[in-house]
Amino acid sequence: MSVLVFVEPDDELSLQALSFARQLGDVQAVSVDGDYAPAAWAAAVAGAAGGADAIVAAGSDRGNELLAHVAARLDQPFAANVTSIDGDVVTRVRWGGSLLEEARLHGSPRILSVAPHTFAADPAAASTPVEQIAVPAHADMSVRVIGRVEESSGGVSLRDAKVVVGGGRGVGSSEAFAIIEELAGLLGGAVGCSRVVTSAGWRPHADQVGQTGTKISADLYVACGISGATQHIAGAKGAKKILAINSDPEAPIFASADYGVVGDLHEIVPAISAELRRVRGS
Amino acid sequence: MLRAKPNDRPVDVGRRVKNEVEIVLGQRKLLQRLVPGLMHAFIFWGFLVLFPTIVMAMIAAVDKHAELPWLGHQTWFGWMVDLFVVLVFAGVVTAVVIRKAVRPARFDGSHRGEADFILLLIAVVVVTLLCWHAAAHAAGLNDHVGPLSALLAKAFPSHGHAERVFVWAHLAVVFGFLRYLPHSKHLHIATAGINVWLARTSRPGRLEPLRFDVPDAELRFGASTIFDLTKKEVMDAFSCTECGRCQDACPAYATGKILSPKLLIMGVRDQVFAQSTGPIVGNGVPEQMIWDCVTCGACVEACPVSIEHIDHIVDLRRSRVMVDSAFPAEAEPMLRDVERAGNPWGKPQTERAAWAEELGVRVLEPGDPAPEYLYWVGCAASFDERAKKSAESTAKLLQKAGVDFAILGPRESCTGDPARRMGNEYVFQAHAEQNIATLKENNVQKIVASCPHCFNTLANEYGDFGGNYEVLHHTELLSQLVEDGRLKPAAGTQSITYHDSCYLARHNDVRMEPRKLLNVIGQPVEMTRSGKQTFCCGAGGAHMWMEEKGKPINVERATEAVGTGAETLAVACPFCTVMLDDGVRETGAKMRVADVSTLLVESLDA
Repeated sequence: MSVLVFVEPDDELSLQALSFARQLGDVQAVSVDGDYAPAAWAAAVAGAAGGADAIVAAGSDRGNELLAHVAARLDQPFAANVTSIDGDVVTRVRWGGSLLEEARLHGSPRILSVAPHTFAADPAAASTPVEQIAVPAHADMSVRVIGRVEESSGGVSLRDAKVVVGGGRGVGSSEAFAIIEELAGLLGGAVGCSRVVTSAGWRPHADQVGQTGTKISADLYVACGISGATQHIAGAKGAKKILAINSDPEAPIFASADYGVVGDLHEIVPAISAELRRVRGS
Repeated sequence: MLRAKPNDRPVDVGRRVKNEVEIVLGQRKLLQRLVPGLMHAFIFWGFLVLFPTIVMAMIAAVDKHAELPWLGHQTWFGWMVDLFVVLVFAGVVTAVVIRKAVRPARFDGSHRGEADFILLLIAVVVVTLLCWHAAAHAAGLNDHVGPLSALLAKAFPSHGHAERVFVWAHLAVVFGFLRYLPHSKHLHIATAGINVWLARTSRPGRLEPLRFDVPDAELRFGASTIFDLTKKEVMDAFSCTECGRCQDACPAYATGKILSPKLLIMGVRDQVFAQSTGPIVGNGVPEQMIWDCVTCGACVEACPVSIEHIDHIVDLRRSRVMVDSAFPAEAEPMLRDVERAGNPWGKPQTERAAWAEELGVRVLEPGDPAPEYLYWVGCAASFDERAKKSAESTAKLLQKAGVDFAILGPRESCTGDPARRMGNEYVFQAHAEQNIATLKENNVQKIVASCPHCFNTLANEYGDFGGNYEVLHHTELLSQLVEDGRLKPAAGTQSITYHDSCYLARHNDVRMEPRKLLNVIGQPVEMTRSGKQTFCCGAGGAHMWMEEKGKPINVERATEAVGTGAETLAVACPFCTVMLDDGVRETGAKMRVADVSTLLVESLDA
């Protein structure tokens, strides 16, 4: 079985896809020159496919978009985010990871992307020669990358931070967020906040954790002076552990917290920071 | 109008006639505000009474000796004419005082100059009528005039030239008025009656469903351009008088949002008049306007000509959501979670009945016989820590009263209401069908619901998809149980103010039952905006899941509640509970916010 694999340079997910493809048969790895343009790149990849039995790419945003274009161009079905293949039966991830679906993949060549982080990258795959191919002349460049803008964030992004220290109404003011920032800094984490805080204008909306803000996936979420409305919990539930600090023992946040401290955050948060400094200093 | 899309409403002639009598002839909506209401009623009733005088004037213009048969020589009619000339004139003067001296904010954004010109025309119409009658009487041509005309006749000569001048002047102004009418807000003279006829006669909280199982040519995904509007929506646009009663009642407008229901309808109308082929949103109506709406219905309730603003908002949202996929990004998780997880917060469905475990509430399995009442808990009361208290209280009360009830537990899913109000009709209908199928598995007939939004959807909207139930709100059932003596609350002394939920009081006319309960267990204090005139908590129309820009509605309402000085703010909706609890905290007041059911449980324990 001959397999054409689309790879991107220095991309872990491409290596995973390549490792997956090596199990299927003879691999031909290609990567496309120039700035990304989905239709044009798809034309290049489809052109390189020749008589390949399968076309594979990583199940990244770009891999999936590219293969969708390839599939449309070749008028073949496409299975995205596949975790395994057995004959023409593929298992693929659906509904944001909550379901695994077995499906029969028809078509020739078979077009599929490999679900991220379900297949370990084989170190040997890294040495696979990658052929650079060019987009054909007169290819459709109507959608293409015309520039790159770095996301301006001072420090760790809320979404990916390992530790998030969040403040709510109990913090009291924009200035009082200094103690939250201090603790977040010491823990190498990001500052989050509840909707009340954003509404009051103490913090920008970008800092808001919740249903209508950012959904976090931290190892630790320290919720300070946050009552724990469902809206907020919906954004915080991805955290592995939640430590709640609130002066109201009846606050709903304690129902969702793994650890709780009933007390004034204005005393407790600086005390934690001081203790962290002491431990590290010694 | 001919190209407009059909509406989906019952024929219901009886109710439509009743609406014509009450709202048009009786001016019921207008008289909600006494002075401007009477001002308009005088002019309107005058218009009806004086209508035959136009025919009389046309006859007289041709032959000054000719008379309209019968009515033309009735002295009582002459008296009526005089009376209503005075009343109309008084109405015009009042209107001028209101517009020029009082200058209420509801006219902000209206065409004031146009209104002034119309008032002038009306004044001239009745003055020329009076002068014509007086001059005719002086010339001996009309012996059936009223006392005012007779008195005025003394100032006119007897040769009859003045009579000719005034009859022609009168007709000229009347025809000028008619010529001007179609280009002005006064088109409502022709359209308002039709609009009232077409308006909802029942189930005011029901949105008309989109039908997806029709031929492609009839498919409709809300409204993008004016050619997607329904007949009623087009008629709404023709009927607006720019009076601004809707704007005055709108919680979004009151808190400085872009939305004004009046400007929305005027925007749609401008597009209709221009026969614009472009999208309504972005041309006649700014994008933010349609997202500011909380679907509370205050505008619809206030409108004297039965414009139904919510239909426009929802239809415009439907097109933006389902066709353009363009809507406030922060609402996307809610839509996704409703669709995938069956509740708007993406909580595991398996935890839905967790609150009920300790209480031993029966959870229905498929095929179990139906209880007397299925308790429809709703997502908020199932998952939100604060709102859960109302579910626990309601369950305890039902147990205490010995009511045979059960819940669906994990088989209950979101009714689809937030998705529907957001404009995603697909997701709503999928949930409606699924829930109806689930209810059918247990042959459920009677439902008691805690959440007014679920209540409205189950009672008013599921019928369109084959789900017909007898649905009560928990305050209705609890009030019944107290009345029957199955619950015996102790009288209390705490002062309580009750916040009417839009989807109970305004959309479903449930106002008395919660008050009956509160009258027993405490000392009620009313807010100014109560009953059908209630002011939204800010969560409706999917706003629970959208970011509010500017002054928050919940704080505005909480401030009003705190202002009553009551110790407790009673609510009957889990979303109101959350919003107003937050709002009260914001004001810094020490007011307790609790569901009526929770207060009732406490009064039993006392």
